[in-house]
Formats: sequence, structure tokens, C-alpha cells
Amino acid sequence: MTIQLREVCKTFGSYTALRNVNLDIADGEFVAILGPSGCGKTTLLRMLAGFEQPTSGEIRMDGEVVAGASSLIPPEKRRIGMVFQHFALWPHMNIHEHVRFPIRTHKKTPKAIRDNEAARIEQVLALVGLSHLAKRMPHELSGGQKQRVAIARAIAAEPSLLLMDEPLSSLDALLRMNMRREIQSVHRETGSAVVYVTHDQGEALSMADRIVVMKEGRIEQIGSPQDIYLKPETEFVAQFVSKANLVRGHWDNDMFIPEGSGSSVQWRGSEVAGYFKSNGLYPVRPDQLELGPVQDGGLVGQVANVQFQGKEFNYDIIAAGQQWEVISPVPYKLNDKVSVTIPQRELQYA
Amino acid sequence: MATSNTSVLKAETGKGGGTFPRSLLSASSIGRYGLLALGAAATFFFFVLPIAKLLLLSVQNEQGFTLSYYTELFRQERFWKVLRHTFVIVLGSTALSMGLGVVAAWLMAYTDLKHKKLLNLLIVLVFVLPSYVLTLSWSSFMGTQGLMASFLHLFDAGAKPWSMYSVGGIIFVMGIHHFPLVYLFTLNVLKKIPRDLEWAAKTGGAGKLKTIAQVTLPLAFPGITAGGLLVFLASLDNFGIPAFLGTPVNISVLSTLIYEEIIGFGPSAFARGASLSVLLGLIAIAGTLLQWFTVRKSKATETTRMDEEPRYALGKARAWVGGTMWGALILITIVPLLSMITLSLRKSYGGKLNWNTLTLDNYRHVLFDNPTIWRAIQNSLTLSLITLAACLVIGTLFAFYRVRKPSKLNKLAELAISIPYTLPGIVFALSMILVWMEPIPGWNPGIYGTTTILLIAYVCRFLVLQIRAGVTAFMQVDASMEEAARISGAGAWTRWKAILLPLLLPGILGGGLLVFLTALTELTVSALLYSSGTQTIGVTIFGFEQAGKTLYSTALSSLIVLFIFVGAGLLQLLQKGFARKGGRN
Repeated sequence: MTIQLREVCKTFGSYTALRNVNLDIADGEFVAILGPSGCGKTTLLRMLAGFEQPTSGEIRMDGEVVAGASSLIPPEKRRIGMVFQHFALWPHMNIHEHVRFPIRTHKKTPKAIRDNEAARIEQVLALVGLSHLAKRMPHELSGGQKQRVAIARAIAAEPSLLLMDEPLSSLDALLRMNMRREIQSVHRETGSAVVYVTHDQGEALSMADRIVVMKEGRIEQIGSPQDIYLKPETEFVAQFVSKANLVRGHWDNDMFIPEGSGSSVQWRGSEVAGYFKSNGLYPVRPDQLELGPVQDGGLVGQVANVQFQGKEFNYDIIAAGQQWEVISPVPYKLNDKVSVTIPQRELQYA
Repeated sequence: MATSNTSVLKAETGKGGGTFPRSLLSASSIGRYGLLALGAAATFFFFVLPIAKLLLLSVQNEQGFTLSYYTELFRQERFWKVLRHTFVIVLGSTALSMGLGVVAAWLMAYTDLKHKKLLNLLIVLVFVLPSYVLTLSWSSFMGTQGLMASFLHLFDAGAKPWSMYSVGGIIFVMGIHHFPLVYLFTLNVLKKIPRDLEWAAKTGGAGKLKTIAQVTLPLAFPGITAGGLLVFLASLDNFGIPAFLGTPVNISVLSTLIYEEIIGFGPSAFARGASLSVLLGLIAIAGTLLQWFTVRKSKATETTRMDEEPRYALGKARAWVGGTMWGALILITIVPLLSMITLSLRKSYGGKLNWNTLTLDNYRHVLFDNPTIWRAIQNSLTLSLITLAACLVIGTLFAFYRVRKPSKLNKLAELAISIPYTLPGIVFALSMILVWMEPIPGWNPGIYGTTTILLIAYVCRFLVLQIRAGVTAFMQVDASMEEAARISGAGAWTRWKAILLPLLLPGILGGGLLVFLTALTELTVSALLYSSGTQTIGVTIFGFEQAGKTLYSTALSSLIVLFIFVGAGLLQLLQKGFARKGGRN
């Protein structure tokens, strides 16, 4: 299913949840909508589902207007699957009944599926690895199993769009990593478009074909995971997604001179977005900076805090009157003096 | 797979005719506003207008507006005496309820007592019984023919039990009848106090008693106060207990005084009743406001989970604490009930009690010999069934909108709907008479004195009970349950049938049973609104009691008790059935 959002706005009373959102989603694409809580990402998702109506603007699915200021096709008439944040399983139905419900209820279930209901249920349960639990009730399942049921129910009637509302946020850390793989495989198997809402940049970066970063009801940046991570276009994206330090200084064409370094230090930055160049900023990710002995030259800084992380250390470094986060495998002690450099092999990606 | 799907989808959505045309949408919104206006008008007519009429009547005579009814009232010695009695009885019974309720709640919430479920049931039973049934039980238990007298005679042949027909007796019965309210409120609050707060106090060096006094009680205080105020209101409202125990010995409280005024007729009886009602209503409203205020203050702990695990091990004391609790509960309910039932099986009030004198004559008379009583039973059954049906439908739908689409308007409507239940029953009954004699100037629908006015009154008064049960039930069903069904293609009908009703039914039916039983045994409102041919069970028992036919009143009351036990048993079975089908998430 292809989806177009044109100038979509949504207000709740005096609160504006979405401002002029424009977005195109291609058939079969996996799009992650990423942002902090209150950025409007859930409102956007609920609008795609049909639970909310735009205040202005319109939404088209496969070229047809499904929602505008004066019209709305309700969720039950769209062919959509949705996975809810807290699973939303029905406590009085077993797993088999959960998967059967949309197949029987949805008027637009393809005839092939409706005619082979039992086979389809078995197929979907096998896909999420729950075949052996078909008779269980929701309260007899673990969190991960509940989420698999929710996914199975969402894809049972073969929707051409699958919406996911922070589906992993109620699971614990290890399970989250495993479920990412499951969701990717569901996306590959079904081939339906996926819109995935999350506040976790790791989930968005690892699974999505494209990421939409939102802030305060506006789209900040749209791009591939690499684009978003390596070439942020706004301060917000740089900090929220790449966890970048915003180093103050001034630009001389493609060369950046950090504040307080004299002009002995120059960083190359041909790929840095125009916004930062015009504001005298250089976004540097903690893993981009390299620490070395003072005699290496470069900016000299001091270790203000150390956190051992296993394979590396997280440092707070004070240099040139600013504080930066740096990730480095080299051990230093508190108050050590270090040199901070950016190796020139940076900014290469496929 | 995806490409073939989308093409199918395109064809289908094309056929289905995508969006709603603009005109259709605005037409439906006109319909919506029409419904809204209708609802608002009905709410005003049924719930607000009666009170307005009552107020108006109390300040109006032939000459126009006047406060003469009030000034006349304040001059009467009798009014002040009644007011004194009212306050002594209400405050005394509230204090008794709070003492019993808090102790019971603490034991049930925090200690490792055995058989808590049964104990809980026994406590709630005291409140579920109609107050006049409890009164009759106690008056037969403590009467000259009762079990207590036989017990005392073992020690002293001339001993007489304490008379229930006194201010003390009224306070006692009212106190035990209402203590479950404090108990339930406090139990909830206590269970929600996080255990670690108590641990923190203990690691800070506070002993057991100090922890209870400085941490547990202050945190529970708003809940206890709210429960106490609820009991205060219930005691003000109560008509059955003072009417059964006070009227025969000339002790009146405000609610029975209003009844006597209206029944006594005479010139300006309605106006005097109305002014008394306004005074009683004002006290009740003040109490309600205070109660809201304290409940709101206690909201801070609302989000914490209930902690069902015991916190204090009673150790060796468990046996005797448990024993005392069982003994006390059995003594205040089961023993008096048995006493009432044995009384109802006697041939005559003064006769000796042995197997030969036991008889079912009283039941035969009540059920078969007397067509008026049979008529009353039929009336009550019909009325409570229709009330149940009306409340189930209206209450559930209203609760749905109240929870899913909260707005200022439906909040206001809920407030209006709760008026008839908040006001003392006798006040509400009088306002019903006033409004239905001539609802709109020049139009008398002629329903005063028919079962219709009783039906309207019952539905208006008990609707809020069903709404509250419905609201609680809906709050437990997350909106995402419905949304998941919508996404799965379910329209409104399927959503209610397959998702909402199965999930809501236990809660809604619990509320429904409460409405049904309350309506079935209703006395206060019916006492003012009935006329010949439209008696109810409550009114009939009241009549027997006034006429001194104790054997009949106890027989009919015993039947009610049987009915309540059967009803409660059915509900238990039903809820067990649901629990087996699928526990809550």
C-alpha cells in the first residue's frame, strides 16, 4: 500500500499535536517514526489507523483519500494490522481465537484466506513460533509470547499496512533485541508496509528502511538510517539520534576550528549539514573523537568522569571550555590530560 | 504477496465508495446534537426539576415568596427535639461504624487471618440486608421472646434484655448496618499504602505501634474520613431503622418526621414537609461535598497497586483474634437472623418454642391467603425487574460515554443523575410527588398513586448505582481492547458483542444485582409514593410492623433473606464461570 500525507495538522483543543506533516510511504517499505514522548508520533500512527481525524490536510492510501478534515474512513473499513504498545490482547479469548478474529470479522479478508481459515491460522502461528500454544489464554503467556500473539493477530488477515506502536517498550532489554529480529522476519515474510513508532533510536536504526524523526509535532528529518545517523541536519537529530556533541567554533569553508583552540586545530567537515555551518557548530559523535597522549597534538582536554562499559570507556572530557562525551577503548584515569582528535577516516559509509 | 494484495484492495475500496460525503456527515452531526439536547432535557426533567420544585414549594405560599414555613419550624419545640435526636443518632452510629470498620479493615488488610474471603462475605452481608430486615432481626433477638431473653433467663429468671426501641437501639443497629461501608473504603486505602513506606519507618527506628500511628493511619486518614462521611450520609438517609424502632416510642428523626408530616396531611403538609426536606437535603449536600473533598485528597495513592499479602503475622494470637471476629460477626448477623426466622415459624407471638409449635402458617398466610401481600410481592418483583432492565441499558451506555468520551457535559449529567441517590430517600420521594402531580403547569399526567411513579422514582434513584458499576467495569477494559477489535474489522455491533460485553458482564451484572435487590426491598421512597394496590414488599412489612403483626413481618423478611442468599449465590456462580473462561489480563 502506498501512503501519502499532505499538510496534515492535528489539534486537540489548544494543543497542536501535528503541524503540516508531509510524508510518502512506498509499498512494502519499513518506516520508523522516531521521537521523544509528546512529539506527535503516536498521533500520526493513530491517524494512519483511522482512530484520529486530521484537523486539516489529507491522507491518501493507494491514491484514495481516507482521511481529511471532513471525511474519515473508520479503522474497521481499512485493511490495516496494528500492534499495540501493551499488546491489547482480549483476556477472554485464547490465542487461536485471537488470530481467527480478524480473519472472520474483517469484511475485506481475501477469499483465499477466509476459505482456508485453519491453515492460515496455523501458518501465522508458525511464523511467530506459537503453534504449540494455540489453546493458551493470554494470562498464561510471558511478555514476549503476548507480543507474538499481538503480531500474529495483526497480520492474520494479510493487511497491506502494518502499524506498530512502540511494540517492544513493555519487554525487557534482552527480549527486545530478539524481537527486533522477529519483526524484521515478519516484514520480510509478509511484504506489507510497516510503520513503526518508537522513541528508541536503536530500534529505528536497526530495522527501518527509512526513519522519520519528529519533534514537537513537526518532521525534523527524513532519511535512511545511515543518513540520519551520520548526517544529521538539525541540532535535535544530532543529539537525539547520534548522541552527538555540538562543538562550538567557526567554519572556514569545509574546515572547522573549535573555539579556544587557537587556529592550530582544524577539523575537516565537508559532509556537515548547512545548518551547523551557518551556526558555528560541529556535531561530533562520541565514537568519532579519539583520545591519545598529550604529545599527539590536537586539542588538550582533561578527564572529568569515567564509566567502564565492558568493551570501552565512556568519558566526559573538558576541553577548550566545553564538555564532550567520548567513547574510547583506551583506559585513562580521572583528571588525566588527554589529546582529543578526529581521525580523517570518518564519514565514510556505503 | 504484497503487490497482489494491494491490487485486490484497490478494487475493493473502489467499490466500497471511499469517503463519507460531506452532507451525510453534517446530517449525522445534526442527529448527534439532537440526541445530546434530548439527553440534556431528560436529565434536567428527571433529576434536576424535582429538586427545584421542592425548593420552590418550601418558600412559596398563596401570597408569594415567604420564609414563614421555616420560621414556624424554628419556633416549634418538637423540631429542635427531632434535630437533637437526629444528630445524636447519626453521630453516634457513625462513630460506632467507624470504630468497627477501621478495626475490621486493618485486620483483614494486614494480618494473616484465615478464611478472609468468607469473613469478607459475612461483613458485606450486614450491609446487603435491607436495614428493616436487620432491625427486625435484632428486635426479635432482643425481644421478650427472643434468644437473648432465653439466654439471660439461664442466669436470672426476671432478667430483661436491653430494649431496642430506644435511641441507643437505633444507634446500635444503624452502626452495625453501616460499618461495612467504612470497612470497604478503609480496606482499599490500607491495601494501597505501599509496604516499603512502613519498612522505611521501621529502618528509621520506629516500632510497630509508632509505625501504625505515624505512617499507616495518617496515610489512611483521608480514606477513613471519606468512609465515615459516607456513613454519616447513609445514616441521615436511613428511614427503616428509626421508623421501626423509634416511631413506636415517639422518637423521631428528620426522615421519619418528614414522613409523618406528609402522611398526616392537614393544611400545608407538603410545604412543611418540603421545608424540612430542604433542611435535611442541605445537611446531606454539605456532607457529600466534604466527602468529595476528602476522596479527592486521597487520590494521591490511587495509582498504586493493591497489596493483598499480609504484613503482620498474628502468631499465637491468630486463633483468638480470628475466633473473636467470627464470633462477633455471627452474633451481629447470623444469630439475630436465626432469631427472626424462628419467630416467623411460631404459631403465636407469646407461645412456647418447641417442635410442636413450629408452623409454616405465617408463610402460608403471607404467600397464599392474602391477595394484597401477593400483589405487593408481584409489584416489587415487576418494579425491580423493569428498573433493572432500564438501568442496565441506560446505565451501561452512559458509563461507556462517561469513560470513553469524557466531557464537561456528561460529567454534569452524572452529577445530576447522582442527586436522587445522594439526597435522603424521603426527600427525593417528596420531590417526586411534587413534580409528577403537575410536571408542566396545566398538565397532570395522572401517574401519582400508580406504579408508574414508583418505577420512575426507582430508576431515577438507582440509575447511578448501575452507572458506577459500569464506569468501574469500563475503566478496567482498556480502550485498546476496542481499538484492536476495530483494526481487526469489527463494527460497533461486533465490538460490543464479542469484546465489550464478555469483558464487562461480571462487573455490570454485579451492579445490576445490587440495583435489583435494592429496588426489590426498597422502603423509604415507596413508603411515600405507594397507594392502595401499589404496595411493595417493604411497605407491606412496614405495615405489618405498625399493626403489630410481627409474625407476618418476620415471615416476609425471612423470605427476603432467602432471596438475597439465592441472588448472591447465583452471582458467585456466574463470576466463577467467567473466571474459568479467562482470567483478567
